[in-house]
Amino acid sequence: MTATIYSVVNALVVLLLNLLGPYVPGSGPYGPFVATWLSYLVVGGIVLAFSMVNVLVFIWWERKLLGRFMDRRGAMHVGYAGLLQNLADGLKLFRKQPFAPKDADEMGYYFGPTAYLVFSMAILGFLPISFGVSGGLVPLSLLVALALFSFAPLFIFIASWSSNNKYSLIGGMRTAAQLVAYEIPLLLAVVAVVALTGSFDINTIVGDQASYGWFALPLLLGLIIFFIAMLAEVERIPFDLPEAEAELVEGWSTEYGGMLFAFTMLGDYVRALIGSYLIVLLFLGGWSMPWGLSNYPLAGLVFFQVKTYIVFAIFIWVRASLPRVRTDQLLQIGWKRMLPLAMANIIWALALVVWGYPNIHWPVM
Amino acid sequence: MTHGLWNLRIKVDGELIVDADPEIGYLHRGIEKICEYRRYNEVVTLMDRTCYVAGIAWEQLYIMAAEGALGLSPPARAEYIRVLSQELQRLSSHIMWYAAYVQDIGLMTPFLYGMRDRDLILDLFQSYTGARMTYEFMRVGGVRNDVPVGFTDRCRKVMDWLDQRIPEYEKVCDNSTIFLDRTKGIGILKAKECLNDGITGPMLRAAGVARDIRRDRPYSVYPELDFDIALYDEPDCYGRYRVRMEEMKQSVRIVRQVLDWLDRNPGPVLAEKVPRFVGTPSPPPGKETYVERRGYPKGRGFSSMEEPHGEAMAYIINEGAEHPYRAKLRSPVFVNIAASKDYLVGYRVSDIPAIMGSVDVCVGESDR
Amino acid sequence: MPEENPPLRPLIPGITAQFPQDVTVLPRRKDMLAVLKVTPARVAEVAKYLRDVGSFEHCALVSGVDWVDHLEVLYHLWSDSLKGYIELTVDLPSEDPHVPSVTEIWRGANWHERETWDMLGVRFDGHPDLRRVLMPEGYQFHPLRKSFELHEPEELEVKARHV
Repeated sequence: MTATIYSVVNALVVLLLNLLGPYVPGSGPYGPFVATWLSYLVVGGIVLAFSMVNVLVFIWWERKLLGRFMDRRGAMHVGYAGLLQNLADGLKLFRKQPFAPKDADEMGYYFGPTAYLVFSMAILGFLPISFGVSGGLVPLSLLVALALFSFAPLFIFIASWSSNNKYSLIGGMRTAAQLVAYEIPLLLAVVAVVALTGSFDINTIVGDQASYGWFALPLLLGLIIFFIAMLAEVERIPFDLPEAEAELVEGWSTEYGGMLFAFTMLGDYVRALIGSYLIVLLFLGGWSMPWGLSNYPLAGLVFFQVKTYIVFAIFIWVRASLPRVRTDQLLQIGWKRMLPLAMANIIWALALVVWGYPNIHWPVM
Repeated sequence: MTHGLWNLRIKVDGELIVDADPEIGYLHRGIEKICEYRRYNEVVTLMDRTCYVAGIAWEQLYIMAAEGALGLSPPARAEYIRVLSQELQRLSSHIMWYAAYVQDIGLMTPFLYGMRDRDLILDLFQSYTGARMTYEFMRVGGVRNDVPVGFTDRCRKVMDWLDQRIPEYEKVCDNSTIFLDRTKGIGILKAKECLNDGITGPMLRAAGVARDIRRDRPYSVYPELDFDIALYDEPDCYGRYRVRMEEMKQSVRIVRQVLDWLDRNPGPVLAEKVPRFVGTPSPPPGKETYVERRGYPKGRGFSSMEEPHGEAMAYIINEGAEHPYRAKLRSPVFVNIAASKDYLVGYRVSDIPAIMGSVDVCVGESDR
Repeated sequence: MPEENPPLRPLIPGITAQFPQDVTVLPRRKDMLAVLKVTPARVAEVAKYLRDVGSFEHCALVSGVDWVDHLEVLYHLWSDSLKGYIELTVDLPSEDPHVPSVTEIWRGANWHERETWDMLGVRFDGHPDLRRVLMPEGYQFHPLRKSFELHEPEELEVKARHV
């Protein structure tokens, strides 16, 4: 089955256009063109809605869980158990007037957070989230997702540079240093997975896990490296140095307010969402379920989401129990610990392949 | 920076600090000047506002100096209630410090643990002073009122709870490698430098100098109480953290002894021969406010005490008038901030919260 | 002869012998080990003597009092071995008061001297960085002088109504 959201939407759009007949340009010479772009729009809308809902629930999940870790209750007044609190916060920010500081470079100032959010959300269009369900079918979906994922430091840097504030700038510099340091172990951990499956297609990776078991077992080290690198990539405690509030006010987003600030915040959570997705997809079996249930897209989706929320719960747990590291310590951990470990992980994965994973014939000593 | 309004100008080379120049005064209210226009008991109100986390410590500091200047002495029970307040205040101040410090380093959970336990102590304060932050409880020649019925038992319960909680605070930090990495070997100021810079309090004791005014120049009833001076021999952020944790345990110990004494010895809490002008409010405006009190002896009062932040001093000159002629307060934080260049240079920008947090800055007190 | 204090027995005669013209021993108060009156010109030397010979290694406080006709600068020094404070007082003229700085001797005196300058207008000669510390730079007054009058809020209101 290769049905994607795009193909379904496209079929619906074509049907609709044909029904409307001559009254819209759907059936003329430009018909296929219009139909294609209309479907792009609809798919974009679906991805947007999906990621927004997920992010809102994510923030709620973090607030509630963090509250429990801290002996308090978290958001609880707006909506059932505070579920609508984030919506209310978002609406409040939405109503604010956007403005740029006097000395800021306006173009970069507006472009930075917007691009940060847009590029983060775009990744969701490439990630399959259940059996045969994805925005568009791309054979190299993992590669595309990781490439888009590593765009973020550029936009953060643009935003921090053009805000013309020293705290923002230090935050932006730190982001650049941090993301470069952790991008490499992250990608090396992915390389090990790719070595085992021989494919950059997430569908294949999940399919392999469905047949041979989760990669978390043979590649436990890889999972740990990927998890820690992901913590740094999405700038969460203990690696939230770019926005260390004690010394840098609010880090690279110091000068932002209103909806632009909401963009930076949403961008962070979208990235956290994608990070959790990637961990589940690459190491924890994606949507594969026992008893053949994963052939039903909806069941797979639910199972996948549950796993994602559990992974994010671990992110929150880490946040509740660890202090922030220092810049030099952060880079030391990245270059001196994570990189050699990631190398060792690749060698281990290659050894597994050589020994004939998944039917391992242990080499005779 | 957090902890009130002050400005730390630093010169950096990349992320390395090469020069630091602290700027204070944003919270200056001229308390010393206002004291010259208020009667002795009215000044107590100002003293609460001096330090917002250790109000009652400053009340007692002022009261001791004022009593020295006026030649009065309070009854024993009042002294014990004062010491009780001191140690409860030290506990609440140190818990507040702990909560804010881990928050500065980036760990939010213990912040809420700390604030929650501090609330229990504030509840105790509320039950016998009527306020949680600005108590206005001490009077020249004693304290305003006795502790209520059942207070000692409630207080003991809180102390039992703190006995469990303080080791837990320690566990949160000592078991965290990142916390140790962030605090050990950071913000070092050796004992000799500390003495030269006039630094006092937990910062000095972390450097291994056993100076505690409660023990060295005993005031109130401290000589009758049994406690140890918290010492540590590493003059870095971690050492300061250890000293404060140890002090909290000692404070719990002192509070228990005081509670036992209070249970056994009822009595008055205000001296009988307090001159009337001390207690009456200032005359309405337009009338002469600076009246010589003929026949009342002049004098100078000096007091120094171990406030949660360090050595605090008050110097009051009584010229026989209804108001102090001059009231001078020495804030330990003022001096500790002044020396910040000596313990900041050579560390990184990301160390600033860790270092300045370990100093326990209270700007209300340094600016007065 | 004022009553003597046992821990200070070798020190006080020593200091009066060293600075016979400049140090006067005032009657002792019960909260001080000793109270010494020093002439302005020799403050730094007496302070250095007290630190090196008398082991007063902690300069706790430098402050001042405005006595309208003259100013008084007070030094409170603490000794860890004697466990007590000693008080030095220095009388200065009201107009253009100058006194040598002790910041060279105790770095901790730095901000105390700045504050005394800020509040009372006493010039500390030889201070490395005598700026205002609590009041803003460029402020004209020295608020703890008695000539700086504080107005009650009600009083100000009355005045405002009459204007």
